[in-house]
Amino acid sequence: MNKSTNHAFVNQMLVGALVMICFSGSLGFSTVWLRHAISLTADRNRQMETKLAEINRHIDETTAAIAAEKSPDALVRRNDEWHLGLVPPREPQVVRVPDDVEQRLMAKNHAELYAANEGSVVTPVVFNLGGGR
Amino acid sequence: MSSRVVQQPARGFASNYRIALVAAAILASLAGIGARLVSLHVLQRAKFLSYIEKARDEIIVQNARRGDILDAHGSLLATSRSLVVLGVDPSALAKEDEAKWPALAGLLGQPLADLQQKFSEKTRLSADAHAENDEDAQQIISSGDEHEVHWVKLSDSVDESTYDQIKALNVRGVYGSRVYSRAYPQNQLAAHVIGYVNKEGDPVTGLERYLDFYLRGENGWLESERDGLRHELAQFRSRTVAPSDGYGTVLSIDTAVQHMVEEELQKIADKYHPLKATIIVSDPRTGFLLALGNWPTFNVNDYNKASLDAQRNTAVADMMEPGSTFKIVAASAALNEGLVSPATRFDCTLETVTYKGMIRRLPREDQSDHFDAPLTVAEIVAKSSNKGAAQLGMLLGEQKFYDYARAFGFGQLTGFPVGGEIPGEMAPPSKWDGLTITRMPMGQSVGVTPMQIHCAMGVIASGGVLMRPQVVRQIRDTDGQVVYQFAPAVTRRVISQHTAQTMARLLMGVASVDGTAPQAAIPGFEVAGKTGTAQKIINGHYSDHHHIASFVGFFPASNPQVDITVIVDDADAFTPGGTAYGAIVAAPVFKRLGEQLIQYLDIQPPVASEGSQFAMEGGLR
Repeated sequence: MNKSTNHAFVNQMLVGALVMICFSGSLGFSTVWLRHAISLTADRNRQMETKLAEINRHIDETTAAIAAEKSPDALVRRNDEWHLGLVPPREPQVVRVPDDVEQRLMAKNHAELYAANEGSVVTPVVFNLGGGR
Repeated sequence: MSSRVVQQPARGFASNYRIALVAAAILASLAGIGARLVSLHVLQRAKFLSYIEKARDEIIVQNARRGDILDAHGSLLATSRSLVVLGVDPSALAKEDEAKWPALAGLLGQPLADLQQKFSEKTRLSADAHAENDEDAQQIISSGDEHEVHWVKLSDSVDESTYDQIKALNVRGVYGSRVYSRAYPQNQLAAHVIGYVNKEGDPVTGLERYLDFYLRGENGWLESERDGLRHELAQFRSRTVAPSDGYGTVLSIDTAVQHMVEEELQKIADKYHPLKATIIVSDPRTGFLLALGNWPTFNVNDYNKASLDAQRNTAVADMMEPGSTFKIVAASAALNEGLVSPATRFDCTLETVTYKGMIRRLPREDQSDHFDAPLTVAEIVAKSSNKGAAQLGMLLGEQKFYDYARAFGFGQLTGFPVGGEIPGEMAPPSKWDGLTITRMPMGQSVGVTPMQIHCAMGVIASGGVLMRPQVVRQIRDTDGQVVYQFAPAVTRRVISQHTAQTMARLLMGVASVDGTAPQAAIPGFEVAGKTGTAQKIINGHYSDHHHIASFVGFFPASNPQVDITVIVDDADAFTPGGTAYGAIVAAPVFKRLGEQLIQYLDIQPPVASEGSQFAMEGGLR
């Protein structure tokens, strides 16, 4: 290549311009690609946020629906609809055990040990069906 | 001839002048682009920037979620959920979607004809255009006073799952926008305590209003940009302030107890058709309410269909004469002052007595009561003698009696936070006439609220202290951590523990066979209470046909765990005998409620060896 004539100067300038165009072009493309990647990521984040909000909304709705189904009115209605016949206990149906229940159960289940060690007598709790004490 | 070939130097890229021309064109183009950039970014910068800011910038508000209201066991009483306001752009509807309209109508629960009518509303008259007849309408249309409709509301309360199904139908032109809405899963339960938030999101009554500072949270926002299709360009988000959700609150109200109370109120309403009725249940040791119910009531989800009467919290906002339940003031005060003992006798056959040098007429006893022999203080309480109460009042004197009544909480606010509480009416002794000292001790000439009566009985149950009635136990943050815990609040000591214990014992006589309300007795559980049958003032006179029946009590008397107040207004018309006595109308309700509470709260019957506990000890928990 001729490096000393006027043509040579133009040659060099054009080569330089082309290189610069290619370089700045690739820089531009890189920037565009980077911005595109950023926008995709941001959009994915936004979609995830939207999805999360949607899930939270469904959770709220489900929680409210469960609470409504657990309300006393709903439970009473179900009791009637399904003919469960559930009623609250009444005092005559309750046998109150004044002494320590854990001790009593332990003594009942290990009567032989207690009998051997202490010679105690275990009195079983009597449940009266249909009420009465 | 010899030919000589001259070797031309290599031309390279610039070997042709046309190449130089191309180079010059490129440079000129670059210069042009540069000039345009300078024009856009420097010379016209302000103009374009303001346009872009208007067109692209946006502030997106992120709504904070309003906190939940929970009962004592964590059951939801009020919560927030999103609802979709569904609308249609009639001009965007597509012909091929018409087959989906019946399915859409089915999902919305609306008749297809209604939906079709909304879909056909393509134009609407302008606000200032008004057509009297068809001719006018034609004129308006031709004059262009009609505008195209782009949004017609189809429903304002579509839930998320239904909206998902609607979206799946994919009807062009039908779209929705989300709003946060308040939901009350328990419907009318504790309606007067919880209150409600209206459709605009403003708390109107009840705890929703009182606790709004904690419940509402703080909205967040973000600054972003949007594209030509109005979609957010998330990569241009510049500032984000996250929303701060509202705190949750835990009440002392127990859903199960509240349900029992409201069932009983409904039974009262069905049986006696009263004007109104109130039941309050609390723990007298702490002052925390387990339930508060009024009849009539309303469903908070449909507050707009409820009358204002139904929305009024009559437990604190309505005043009445208390009747005999007020006798606990005179009896407690006289005992506390040491003026009498339970065995002190009073002649309850007298018609008049001399007081401060003047003859005063004593009140009549109830029609069914006539006492031939002097009554002890214990009998005055158990049999509810009007003459006995009047003599106890006179023994105390006007000022002392008034001071005790004030100390019991009458004539002033109890501090209950919701419902628009009123202080009632109790005139100072300087404004009393000659008869007031004989009438006020039996519960006339004084105006009180049901809550005041309840708290006054609580004084005896709690061992002599007046507790502030409360319903809020805790404030919790979004993670469930307790931010603030409300402790029992003692307003003042009113009577000594010893007097409270004595009064509790005397009030047990009311629910005995010799008392006025054996109907309230629960075998084995030491019920202490007081009946009230207050005559209502009709046309300026005490009526014999309109009464306020009440029973206020607690049990077990030696270790009080529940304080129950039952008040029924004007149940006479449907009461056997025509008079709504507290013993007939209110006491059985107290008993039924008490029996249920014994099982639900696992209240143990008093053990003889333990003797009296709380009323004597006056402790708090």
